[in-house]
Amino acid sequence: MATYRLNRDSDLIDNPSPRCACMLVLDTSASMFGQPIRELNAGVQAFISAIQEDDMAACSVELGVITAGGKVTEQLPFTTAMNISQCRQFTASGLTPLGSAMELALDRLEERTAAYRKAGVAYYQPWLVVISDGVPTDQWQAASVRARTLAQQRKLVVMPVGVEEADLDALSAFSTRPAKRLDGLKFREFFLWLSASMSRVSASSSTTDQVKLPPTDSWDSI
Amino acid sequence: MDSQGKERQLGKRLERGGEGEIYALRDRPDVIVKWYYPEVLDKRGEELHRKVEAMRGLRDAHMTRDVCWPLIRVFDQQQRWIGFAMYRARGVKMSFLAHALLYQRYFPGLDRRRVVGYLIRFVEIVQQLHDAGVCIGDYNLNNVFCVPSSDQVTLIDCDSYQLRVGGTFYPCPVGSPDMTPKEHQGVSFRHVVRTPRSEAFSLAIVLFKCLMLGRHPYDIVGGDDPVRNLRRGNFAYGRGQRDVPQGVWYELWRELPETIRDMFVTTFTVGADAPIQRATLSQWHVALSEYREAMAAGEHAVQLATPGRPQRSQVLYAR
Repeated sequence: MATYRLNRDSDLIDNPSPRCACMLVLDTSASMFGQPIRELNAGVQAFISAIQEDDMAACSVELGVITAGGKVTEQLPFTTAMNISQCRQFTASGLTPLGSAMELALDRLEERTAAYRKAGVAYYQPWLVVISDGVPTDQWQAASVRARTLAQQRKLVVMPVGVEEADLDALSAFSTRPAKRLDGLKFREFFLWLSASMSRVSASSSTTDQVKLPPTDSWDSI
Repeated sequence: MDSQGKERQLGKRLERGGEGEIYALRDRPDVIVKWYYPEVLDKRGEELHRKVEAMRGLRDAHMTRDVCWPLIRVFDQQQRWIGFAMYRARGVKMSFLAHALLYQRYFPGLDRRRVVGYLIRFVEIVQQLHDAGVCIGDYNLNNVFCVPSSDQVTLIDCDSYQLRVGGTFYPCPVGSPDMTPKEHQGVSFRHVVRTPRSEAFSLAIVLFKCLMLGRHPYDIVGGDDPVRNLRRGNFAYGRGQRDVPQGVWYELWRELPETIRDMFVTTFTVGADAPIQRATLSQWHVALSEYREAMAAGEHAVQLATPGRPQRSQVLYAR
């Protein structure tokens, strides 16, 4: 499937900007119903708008969205921010198949970086952001080992974020960095931070450089 | 406060960098102030102050026009040194010029003549710095400003430059692997001694990125990241033309005069390992000036190829 998509994917041919893939894995299970899912939706929209305001980042950041709410849904296949016209609104329902959502995310990231290499497009370390308010309800250990190994090899930045009563230990298992807890429902603040981080990454002149990220104090809780 | 103890009002914050913040000076829109973060001052304040003072000693009439050189010391109310003031650069970042999708927005009507004009000015400014014993070190297209309506070029973020003044060596402690020659890869930038030959390599990458609308010379099909390709001297263009990225890139390359293509090929293949083989700044200056004259005489295409309309035939070049 990936190869068919590549042939249609003229963006990688016309746009030589080094890419920063950013995959969002979002818990949209029933417990997110109400205010949390509304804030999450608003946060994702704010993220897309903020990236699009930064011309350089808009050409470099490729966003993908996978939700885990009852079933695993690929809401947005990797798309360069400048080409995103709108993102679907997510609804909250069902259990939290975070393990399979993460597996799918890792597959998609792998396909995407292979497409970059095939087109001769340089890329920064991709980002995988996972946001959940609970615990995965499916098998997630294998996916966590896979994600953490990539993070250890510095092939992936995994950023786990816990909302409200989330199990931070389970989320932390996906990464080499500990999960952060969102202060209340500050999704918007989180996503503006994420966009500022993406802007910094896409403005750095080297795809292999370490980028100093902005402070997280606008959205995390101690 | 300036060094005369006169209080100055800062205007709005313009930029937040890794080491400090840039403010406008109220009532003087042409002057900006770099204010180092307190933690940076705590750690390396004295060292920075010494270096900036050495830079102030080096300034001359030319430099203040083409580079944002530290001109005036700035102190806080406790008389503690916190940074310096300089003239504000006009124009647009060169990274927007070297960008296939953005150049039209930021540089309306840009063509090859104008690109080459900026590059000639850029080479001249770097030559002028080298003559004063200064190396840029940290090459970064965000730190070169070009004025869209003229061929004016100004360099910013100069306090990282490497200099030697009165027997003291001040290193350039920062850099980007993508812009750094092989001999300086994997070494702490603080311990690197940049030379005109190492500068010639980084400068060639800047020239390539501008002439090729943002492509890095070491972007290759099926390949590793640019830094690994750089270390191996794996340059896709030129002889053999293997692994050139898909798109208009080969077309852009083919439009360049043979002299310039040869200089890139030599610098990015054998020159990756052997600094002596790299085209020098004066060679670049001659070649670019000749290119500009040839364009004026109608011997070379002036318009830039536009990506966005992929043609089947170009994909073939990549195979």
